[in-house]
Amino acid sequence: MERTPHAGAGPVHVPLGHIVANEKWRGSRLAQEMQGKVKLMFEEGLALADFYLSSRCCILYITEADLVAGHGYRKRLVRVRNSGHLQGIIIVEKTQISEQYFPEVQKFTVLDLGMVLLPVASQLEASCLINQLVQEQTREPSRNPFLRKKRCALSEPSLVQTVQQIPGVGKVKAPLLLQKFPTIQQLSNASVQELEEVVGPAVAQQIHSFFAGPH
Amino acid sequence: NTVPRLPQEGHRACILVDSREITSGLEVISSLRTVHGLQVEVCPLHGCDYIISNRMVVERKSQSEMLNNGNKNKFIEQIQRLQSMFQRICVIVEKDREKAGDTSRMFRRTKCYDSLLTSLVGAGIRILFSSGQEETAYLLKELSLVEQRKNVGIHSAVLNPSKCEALQFYLSIPSTSYITALNMCHWFPSVKKMANSSPEEISACAQVTHQKAEEIYRYIHYTFDIQMLP
Repeated sequence: MERTPHAGAGPVHVPLGHIVANEKWRGSRLAQEMQGKVKLMFEEGLALADFYLSSRCCILYITEADLVAGHGYRKRLVRVRNSGHLQGIIIVEKTQISEQYFPEVQKFTVLDLGMVLLPVASQLEASCLINQLVQEQTREPSRNPFLRKKRCALSEPSLVQTVQQIPGVGKVKAPLLLQKFPTIQQLSNASVQELEEVVGPAVAQQIHSFFAGPH
Repeated sequence: NTVPRLPQEGHRACILVDSREITSGLEVISSLRTVHGLQVEVCPLHGCDYIISNRMVVERKSQSEMLNNGNKNKFIEQIQRLQSMFQRICVIVEKDREKAGDTSRMFRRTKCYDSLLTSLVGAGIRILFSSGQEETAYLLKELSLVEQRKNVGIHSAVLNPSKCEALQFYLSIPSTSYITALNMCHWFPSVKKMANSSPEEISACAQVTHQKAEEIYRYIHYTFDIQMLP
């Protein structure tokens, strides 16, 4: 495969089902764990991120040591955030040692920058999570239960429910009213006389004042 | 005696809390009130844990529930329900309370857990991680401040008692959240006025997207057919 060095923030080409990894991860525990499950391609000169899942989605990996060292990691996050064409997913090593810094990282990444943050306890956990992220990226969006188009439910049963919320109207009167005034809008504009053709005068008055509002 | 610090915006930020949270998240509620000085209104939200703005709901989920494959479908259904009502969703994954001497609750990451997380990420649903109820309260406050800065904060959660019937009526409109119904009570002088409003007026009064306003408008103008009743 041809390798073109990426100077700066140019788009990175990622073949489907592959991950492009920053050269610095070669030989690491994380890369070893991943290699069995996904196809890794190492590239030099990736300035912004640690891993690219696609040309538009990358992973920034913050190690336990990065966290303890201070705020140095923040610059990288901001650069990805400002790149405009990249979605950055931040994976952070949350261990017994780095746990105390986690709330701060989370506030900065998720609340201030609006990026995605996922904690892991080890590089082994990270490899499973990244594998899952690749699967999510490559499958059809409709396979994601949260992106599935919802079926349109029938409106009739809901309309009966809605009309039953009007004081004085129960299970029996609701469908009768809807047969005479077939939309909520028409029902809301019905006069007391018109309503009396369906219900008694007391209930007709109740319905009318419900729509007309507080006196 | 510490006086709770108020958010910078001048008036107290308001959060709606589901009444079920009184049993499961007592410490969250009391932290929101006493530590963060927020106005907390407990309402029957029917499964929406926290409503923190006109468009955002927060689902509080214990880590052990997310780890267990048996709860997966229930969780998915719950999020789908929230998606029908809210523009933005945030899930707070909260660490379970540790009992003394209980080692069975050791966190062991599962495939189910990872796949739920990545599906949420794929759908643009925010995820926050909390070490316990106190931190959850802090995260809720921070989320509420972000939403306030974007001018979608909750205006008022106090309802005039004469409008309770109207609230129930608005709540029965499919996929209408409690805050949307509450906004309609506040900003429409009468239910009749609401039923005769344009999608633009509904969008402005109910504080919803244009798409949602169209949905409500179509419902109000939907012609009933008795044959279609099951």
